[in-house]
Amino acid sequence: MAAVLDVQNIHKRFGSLEVLHGISLQAEAGDVISLIGSSGSGKSTFLRCINLLEMPDEGEIQLAGEMIKLKTNHKGRRTAVDPKQVQHLRSRVGMVFQQFNLWAHLNILENVMEAPVRVQGVDKAEARELALDYLNKVGIAHKADTYPAFLSGGQQQRVAIARALAMRPDAILFDEPTSALDPELVGEVLNVMRKLAEEGMTMLVVTHEMGFARDVSNKVIFLHQGLIEEQGPPSEVFSQPKSERLKQFLSNTSIK
Amino acid sequence: MLEMLPTWLIDWLGPDGMANLAYLTNGKHLAWYASVRYTLIAAVCGAGLAVIFGLLGAGAKLSKFAPLRWLGDIYTTMVRGVPDVLFLLFFPLAFEQGIEYIMAKMYCSPDAVAAAGGVACKEAQWFLTTTEYLVMACFSLGIVYGAFAANVIYGALKAVPKGQLEAAQAFGFNEREVFWRFQVRQMWVYALPGLSNVWLLLLKATSLLSLLQITDIVAWADRLGAPNYLPMAGLVHPDWRWKYYLVLFIFYILLTFISERFFGFLQARASRGMARAN
Repeated sequence: MAAVLDVQNIHKRFGSLEVLHGISLQAEAGDVISLIGSSGSGKSTFLRCINLLEMPDEGEIQLAGEMIKLKTNHKGRRTAVDPKQVQHLRSRVGMVFQQFNLWAHLNILENVMEAPVRVQGVDKAEARELALDYLNKVGIAHKADTYPAFLSGGQQQRVAIARALAMRPDAILFDEPTSALDPELVGEVLNVMRKLAEEGMTMLVVTHEMGFARDVSNKVIFLHQGLIEEQGPPSEVFSQPKSERLKQFLSNTSIK
Repeated sequence: MLEMLPTWLIDWLGPDGMANLAYLTNGKHLAWYASVRYTLIAAVCGAGLAVIFGLLGAGAKLSKFAPLRWLGDIYTTMVRGVPDVLFLLFFPLAFEQGIEYIMAKMYCSPDAVAAAGGVACKEAQWFLTTTEYLVMACFSLGIVYGAFAANVIYGALKAVPKGQLEAAQAFGFNEREVFWRFQVRQMWVYALPGLSNVWLLLLKATSLLSLLQITDIVAWADRLGAPNYLPMAGLVHPDWRWKYYLVLFIFYILLTFISERFFGFLQARASRGMARAN
């Protein structure tokens, strides 16, 4: 089966500090890949490199067989050859942020409709119906007229997931989706994500929720200091960790 | 004209009241009231231009292109430092003479210039009427207060949460759309308190229109209030200028009051949904 997402040899430097030393990853349709590791291991940066919110200094990204063309400009900085291609990539890869980042000036329904209508050119009435469907799916359609500021963190994050789904993306990137939530709100977001995984959505999840990584994902990648230290199916990674560092990391993390 | 008033009103005012009313509605006074339009046009058009210059200036200051950034900084630093009176005097005159200079280069023979005493020959001379002066006053106000607005808008644009702009980027919006549809749209909440200050300063500066030979409310108040001596009637009234200036006081206070209400309304509109629930 062809990979939905094929990311090769990503390097990222901030000034003289190299945070990613060459990371590769393939995701096939329906894969749920959890990226774990201690803070500073580069997992969020890697995720942000995939839709080019951070521009990788080296490496290649392919989405559904289409290579994203990057070049080095005269200042030695990497940029996209064609900004339109990058926008197209981004419109096909959903993203869910740690801080939700819902648009504060739009209500819930408008938040979900905005990108399909403006970026994908979906007809407004159709987008509205679609948006309500997805809001229903994450269990928050009754708040469609509310503005984000009046929702709890868990509700906001579920709206953010609906917003990503409304683009009908090939894959969704989750950047620590539950880290900013109060503990009692984590469950409702994880439940929505679990449902998506069961429906076959391709997901890349940077997470500290080891229970989720173990139960829901079919592949776990452990990052350490900008490199993949260990990867495999969760049963192996969690029950028979090979590297010392992973053993240490797991012993410091409670699995619920 | 006044005979057309209802009788009860004429009775109520009495002969003295009617005489005062007649005086306050004579031709010169009506011209005074009508001259309010210059003040309002200058304020509204000046403010509109100030917002446009402000957005351009703020956009320049945020640009990735260094020379544009410098231009934005020069604009906001220099223009804010120059007294508005000076700018109102300098800009229209410089503009007028600049135009005349170019016209003279195009249409005047060297002889004609020499005959005119080194200035533009007749064909190239440009006589400005109130309309032209008013347009230039609007631009002067727009440029001066646009520099203040640029600083306010610059700060407001930077206050928009970065994460939301990143989200817009991540959903495939291009740079221009991110700027206009998200950053500018949300900026108003942070900018409006500062812009209302700029607006009030601009409103006050409209009292300088008479510097450009526009017979505005201040010029009229000056004329009408001055001691009025007619050869036939003797002294009609002594120096009444303070009375007329008092009317201007009240007028500007009233405008300020209305402005505050208006900005309150705008603020409520712009921050719809943005208020924190907790």
